[in-house]
Amino acid sequence: MKDKTDVLQGTLALMVLKTLDVLGPLHGYGIARRIEQISGDLLSVNQGTLYPLLLKLEQEGSIASEWGASENNRKARFYSLTRAGRKQLHAETQGWQQTASIIDRFLTAKAGDFS
Amino acid sequence: MRTLRRFLSRVLSFQRSDEQRITTEIEAHLAEQTAENIRNGLSPQEARRQAVLKFGSIESTREAWRDQRSLPFFETLLADTRLALHRLRNAPAFTFTTILTLALGIGATTSIFTLVYAVLIKSLAVAKPEELLRLGKEPSCCYFGGYTQVDGEFSLVSYDLYQHFRDNTKGFSELAAFQAGGTDLAVRRAGHSEPAQSENGEFVSGNYFRMFGVNAYAGRVLTPADDQPHAAPVAVISYRLWAERYGSDPSVIGAVFNLNQKPFTIVGIAPPAFYGDALRNPAPDFFLPLNTEPYIEPDNDLNNYALHWLDLIGRMRPGATPLAIEAQMRVELKQWLRSHWGEMQPYERAEFPRQTLYLRAGGAGITYMRRDYEHWLNILMTVTALVLLIACANIANLMLVRSLGERRQISLSMALGARPSRLIRQTLTETILLSLLGGSAGLALAYAGTSLILRFVFPSSTGGIAVAVSPSPSLPVLAFACAVSLLTGIAFGLAPAWMATRIDPIEALRGVGRATARTASLPRKALVIVQAALSLLLLSTAGLLTAALHRLEHQDLGFNPAHRIVVNVNPRVAGYKGDQLAPLYQRIHDSLGALPGIAGIALCTYSPLANNAWGSGVWTLDHSEPSANFDHSAYWTRISAGYFDVLGMPVLRGRGITRQDTAASPLVAVVNQTLARRFFPNEDPIGKYFRRDEDPSSPVYQIVGVARDAHYLQFEIARPIGPFFFLSDTQHEFSKSSNTEISPGSHYLGDIVLLPHSGAHISKSQIRHAISSIDPNLPVTAIQTLEEQVSAVFRNQRLIARLTSFFGLLSLLLAAIGLYGVTAYNATQRTSEIGLRMALGADRKQILQLVLRGALALIGIGLAIGLPLSLAAGRFLGAQLYGANPYNPAVIAISIAALALSATLAALLPALRASSISPLDALRTE
Repeated sequence: MKDKTDVLQGTLALMVLKTLDVLGPLHGYGIARRIEQISGDLLSVNQGTLYPLLLKLEQEGSIASEWGASENNRKARFYSLTRAGRKQLHAETQGWQQTASIIDRFLTAKAGDFS
Repeated sequence: MRTLRRFLSRVLSFQRSDEQRITTEIEAHLAEQTAENIRNGLSPQEARRQAVLKFGSIESTREAWRDQRSLPFFETLLADTRLALHRLRNAPAFTFTTILTLALGIGATTSIFTLVYAVLIKSLAVAKPEELLRLGKEPSCCYFGGYTQVDGEFSLVSYDLYQHFRDNTKGFSELAAFQAGGTDLAVRRAGHSEPAQSENGEFVSGNYFRMFGVNAYAGRVLTPADDQPHAAPVAVISYRLWAERYGSDPSVIGAVFNLNQKPFTIVGIAPPAFYGDALRNPAPDFFLPLNTEPYIEPDNDLNNYALHWLDLIGRMRPGATPLAIEAQMRVELKQWLRSHWGEMQPYERAEFPRQTLYLRAGGAGITYMRRDYEHWLNILMTVTALVLLIACANIANLMLVRSLGERRQISLSMALGARPSRLIRQTLTETILLSLLGGSAGLALAYAGTSLILRFVFPSSTGGIAVAVSPSPSLPVLAFACAVSLLTGIAFGLAPAWMATRIDPIEALRGVGRATARTASLPRKALVIVQAALSLLLLSTAGLLTAALHRLEHQDLGFNPAHRIVVNVNPRVAGYKGDQLAPLYQRIHDSLGALPGIAGIALCTYSPLANNAWGSGVWTLDHSEPSANFDHSAYWTRISAGYFDVLGMPVLRGRGITRQDTAASPLVAVVNQTLARRFFPNEDPIGKYFRRDEDPSSPVYQIVGVARDAHYLQFEIARPIGPFFFLSDTQHEFSKSSNTEISPGSHYLGDIVLLPHSGAHISKSQIRHAISSIDPNLPVTAIQTLEEQVSAVFRNQRLIARLTSFFGLLSLLLAAIGLYGVTAYNATQRTSEIGLRMALGADRKQILQLVLRGALALIGIGLAIGLPLSLAAGRFLGAQLYGANPYNPAVIAISIAALALSATLAALLPALRASSISPLDALRTE
């Protein structure tokens, strides 16, 4: 059995925001599926943990939510990105890319590179 | 920003049930997943099962969501509080006892701390009190003459010396001088017809308010321009007097007031919080420029450069240090003394090298109150701290008993999986709630207690409090009360809570706590022992103070205070001088003596225990002194004819002062027994002569009578009466060398003593009317019975004795409650044992003994510990007992008896209940 990587603390929020940015308004299940798909099923979201996080983002004003009907015509809560959320996504994306590139350079550096 | 927004959103959803949303969302999620699983070829049941598996724990999601939605800490707190309130309501006896105990403990402590804070700690209500420096190690009053002061320390200065310091000390940005003590003023508002009121005033330098950084509440404060020899006379009035006497009338500013018959314009009102440079009784109500002193007082102290009557407070410049200023002022003092070398007496020149001065922190002003009340307050602080300790022990006990009673419940909760921290939190909530309730009740009690004490110690003429100490707990006191109440709560809440969770649930549920009862009984027993010991300590302290007071109050005063009335007038401030006095006294004598029901009237400078007298020496003519350090000092007063009969002070030999002693007849004196014994041992003093001064040219008095020893001075009240003599009010003495009158001030007779016929009633208004018909400018300072005057001497002792008695009885009650609780609890624990014993043939008496023995053993140990403590307390009280025996066996015996008796009563009740149970019932329990 293949080990699945736990979602890093704090990165889940970023994934949620990015998902909503790309796909537009989406319900909880849709978000969970999207994250699984993009990560190539390597990343396992314990789907339940998604909901408290959605609530937190909503309380912070990054996303908004309203009731709607799903593709199967079921009552579901649809989440969408707010202006503040978009700004936050932008800032956090930059931060994340910077961190990733630093770590990447650090890991690929060889003994003689900077001497 | 985001955090704040989130917090607000959580607060808004606080207490709002929103379960439906998460349920629907989870359901939708599972349905979608199931649908997808079916699409992937799973059977409906398996699809649903896989969906639920993938989702994870629904319950924990729900819980996390709930925690996320609102503020779980506060919701738990609210739930805990609600539960605690419910539990407290269900145990009204416990709740009531706990809150009452706490309220009394916290109330007593806070009340005394309010006084301690105001008297010992608080700074004056002025700008930056930490910058102020005061002259003198200790406050002194009121006049020193010459070029040397007590122990070579200059603590008071003359106006001349003040100016020298003010103009030369560069370390002060302002140096202000003001009168040490106050001055009596006869006050009449110009154009008003009411008789003159006696008020307290103080002469202050023009920069006084500027130095303190105090601005006027209304109008303006005094300025240096007001304090010039020929400036228009102005005054600042206190807020208190303005509000109480003049109803906050704005027209007072700019109004003319006659102070000692001299017109002054009121220019402003001091701020409410400002009560002058010292906390004192009475506080000054009129602030007058120093330069108006010669204008309204006959003495002209201002221009006497060797008369030291001013206190100094200065404000340091930034960067200046107290040590540097002190060093500089010492040099200035020496310079000033050298410049007066010519006027110095030989002994003053000899003392010159010793003369120095000391500066002290001046933020608290001139600390008369601290000096006078520090020791009393320390005793009260100790006593109340002990009461608080006993109260806490009692509450700890109550809580322990209660928590043990709920052991089963706690064990059940633990067995069902409750976390210990959660259980401790629940108990803590309950105790903190209790202590907060007790604390607020205590605060109310403290306010009432403090105002009661203040009214008792410093009664004002208008029925209020005469001193600027507010009974309402100020911010630091409030913080103190809260800290005490919270700490108490946590202290007595934590132990039982911790112990409760230490119980092994299985053990507890199976054995119903027989094993645990033993482990918990030790701390409870220890608490009872401590309570008993402390109660004995407090009871015996109260007993010692009460015994000392009783001894003081019932001593032979040497005169008869019954029925007599003392009327205080102030002819000095009414402007009377030298030869105008005798006719005034004659008119007073005739007018008051003619009131219906008056049997006798006499006037004197000071009546007995008015707490004042003139002091001087006694030098006999025909005696060489027994030794070089023989003490010549004596006190004296002037009296009118008939004084001894009116006071009930018998003249044992010779005669009293009579109308035959006049300005023209030879100088005579009546002496007391002690003076006769001391200066004329083994001989008849009648007909002998003495001088008041060593100077052979000073006047000579002939002794015409010996009066019984009588108490005059408060500070001598617990000591043997010292030498005292009486001079005639009509005789004046003059110095032969300078031909000036000697001590003319002693002719201002301020005390009128009236002796009514027994049964006759004289009203105060009759007396006031009679005086004001003689002269409306003559202020009546006070009218009281001689018994009240005597009783006022013991006021502080009485208050302390009463308060400690109250605290002692309180501690006794608390200890009894504690013992009752422990005995009752133990008896219940041993019910089955008692049943077994009775079944095996023990009778009621034996059971009674069994229960009582345990309880009384505790008290016995408590007494054994308390006894040495009580003896130590007697030593600690020492001077406060005024010579009474600090190891009074009767007091200790009564204290022990009281404690033993109430302990027996407290233990007897549960013991009787235990012994009256039927063996069958007892065995059936559990």
